[in-house]
Amino acid sequence: MRAYELIKETFRRRTYIWVVHLVWLALYVFYWWFFLSDAAADIGGFVFVLGGILFALALSAGIFGDDIDSGRIGVLVTKPFWSGKLYIYRMIGLSLQGAVHFLLCACLLIMLQLLTRKTSMDGLALAWWLLASWLLFNTVAALSTSLSVVVGRMFNSLLLLIVAIAVFIFIVVLKSKTQGQTEPSTFEKLIRYACPPFDLLRKFAGGEHGQFSLTFGRFSISKNVACVVHSLMLAVAYSAVGIVLLCKRQFSRVRD
Amino acid sequence: MTRQVKTCTLIAIAALVLEAWALYTLDLSPATWRPAMIVKNEARARGLYDSMNNAMRAAKSLSYTAVSRGPDGRATTYKIYLKKPHAIRVEVTNHLTKRTTMLVRDSDHLWVYWSGNRQVWQIDTVDSYEETQSDTFIKKAASATDGSITNEIAYLGMAWFNLIWDPGLFHGHADPYAPFIDGVRSKGTDTVRGHLCDVIEISFMKAQRTRYIWLSQQNHLPRKIKEIDRLADNHVTVVLWSNVSLNHDIAPEMLTWSPPETSMPWHLAPPEASLLESGQAAPDFTLDSIDKEPLSLSDFRGKVIWLYLWQVGSPSCRADMPLLQSFYESCQDKGLVILGLNHTDDRRIARSFLQAGQITFPNILDSSRAALEVTFEAYGYRKTNAPLSYVINREGKIVDAWYGFEKQHHRALAALKTAGIPVEKRVP
Repeated sequence: MRAYELIKETFRRRTYIWVVHLVWLALYVFYWWFFLSDAAADIGGFVFVLGGILFALALSAGIFGDDIDSGRIGVLVTKPFWSGKLYIYRMIGLSLQGAVHFLLCACLLIMLQLLTRKTSMDGLALAWWLLASWLLFNTVAALSTSLSVVVGRMFNSLLLLIVAIAVFIFIVVLKSKTQGQTEPSTFEKLIRYACPPFDLLRKFAGGEHGQFSLTFGRFSISKNVACVVHSLMLAVAYSAVGIVLLCKRQFSRVRD
Repeated sequence: MTRQVKTCTLIAIAALVLEAWALYTLDLSPATWRPAMIVKNEARARGLYDSMNNAMRAAKSLSYTAVSRGPDGRATTYKIYLKKPHAIRVEVTNHLTKRTTMLVRDSDHLWVYWSGNRQVWQIDTVDSYEETQSDTFIKKAASATDGSITNEIAYLGMAWFNLIWDPGLFHGHADPYAPFIDGVRSKGTDTVRGHLCDVIEISFMKAQRTRYIWLSQQNHLPRKIKEIDRLADNHVTVVLWSNVSLNHDIAPEMLTWSPPETSMPWHLAPPEASLLESGQAAPDFTLDSIDKEPLSLSDFRGKVIWLYLWQVGSPSCRADMPLLQSFYESCQDKGLVILGLNHTDDRRIARSFLQAGQITFPNILDSSRAALEVTFEAYGYRKTNAPLSYVINREGKIVDAWYGFEKQHHRALAALKTAGIPVEKRVP
């Protein structure tokens, strides 16, 4: 029962959460209406970036930082209750919210396709993009939630956004400096495998793992499965760090 | 240990094993060559391959856009216009820099032009680059090109990934890889951007290289080509063809070019400029032999050394190796050592190539950073797919150095004679 309440709480934590959902869905419609070219990958890529990264940051903003700063966490974490559970259920709640959001997104896009007939959309390709978006959402949300344990108020999401932009610019500069080299550097490998798997999931959704496999490979099942496993493991690893940090903190029920 | 701890430990171990598998699977680097990759000929598939060549041969003009990409997402876009008997225009755009450069070959000349700053070329010095970096062009006699324009496209300095299919083949230039086809087989049908295609697989040089070509059922021209180059690290390139147009009129002004008044010619130094000069001491090195034993240049001090940098995938090297073996057998007792140096290939592929050709002269097979430093920095290797020869005398000094394969070996004979190995004529 407590688990259900804690999961439900992530949906009702702030009233703006519903606004975020609606704004994001409106942005998908806006993009569809005004900027969509003729490929399913186009809208898929848009949902991937907007939903997989920015939406996760918006939902997880201050998820622990707010409660820690206001002292509400002391009420939530009581003696017989392992504080790690609070993290786990909130993370599950966020993940479910992501799943609901991308399902709504799928329904919305199908409706738009039926109404406007704007593009010959491949439903399967879109499904891959939405799955990739949800996997990316989980890793970003886990990272942001863990950061929220140590960063006050809603600065966890802001900090992560700034770091993500900085890393993106750095990678672009690095790639321009190392053009001609086909082998990624150690730093590039570190970003690829230790940071949220943006590039891996983009290739997963775009079918590129099969395209660049070492055989004919229309689909590379093993690589796609590995990609899903790695994404989920990263989300678990980021969450584990957050759980350890949360458990190490002492919270008082009485505010100063 | 409580039951809960045991369960948690087991879950953690399982998760780690799963993640290790995922990372291994996602990493592209392990070489995967095996004999089963050598393709056997299928008549129908061979027919499809021939129909592609026939469609090219029969066409008067062809234009298309090729986007060439590798697994790291980098891409190069080529807009290509071809007209018989010899006209070519290639515009190359690099996705990251957004710069465009172009190459035009008309009846008399081949022009390469950079509208802005050109990229630093491998043999540029700081001074030469500063003088010629902006608004420059290269002019070559059309007859100076051997038909292939792959090397000329490389001058543009923009291409991260190659075209796989050399546009020079459209004009009847012989495909240097055609003699090395193991076989062609069918991989069924597939759709590329709405075009229904027959897919064929071609392996070359005992599957050192494999190509998959998606041939449009409409006009038998490629819509997609994928190439796997099995080197010490595997290289995968995918080229997507779009806007394919056959036998349409290409405006004449597209296929001619003359330099703007403000631009200036740039005379590209030959690749030999970076090689060690005669009389210089040959730098010593110790690298891994084909049998993984350390092998040094100084092990052969007191003998004349023909140092030969080669690759399994180079048609010139493959043609040269049996001749080198003949040289080695006939001149070994005169104090000549031929030392092969391969810094690119997969060990299994290189070893099977040497065994099949009964090549017995000592060979280094090492793709480590140390080997790359020896070849590129110490010995000034700049080309990517050509043999490089150095003849080193008994005192360890360079006698001569040159790129490429010469069937009669005139240059090699002269260098060996200077080094004190009299060989009157090429050993048959």
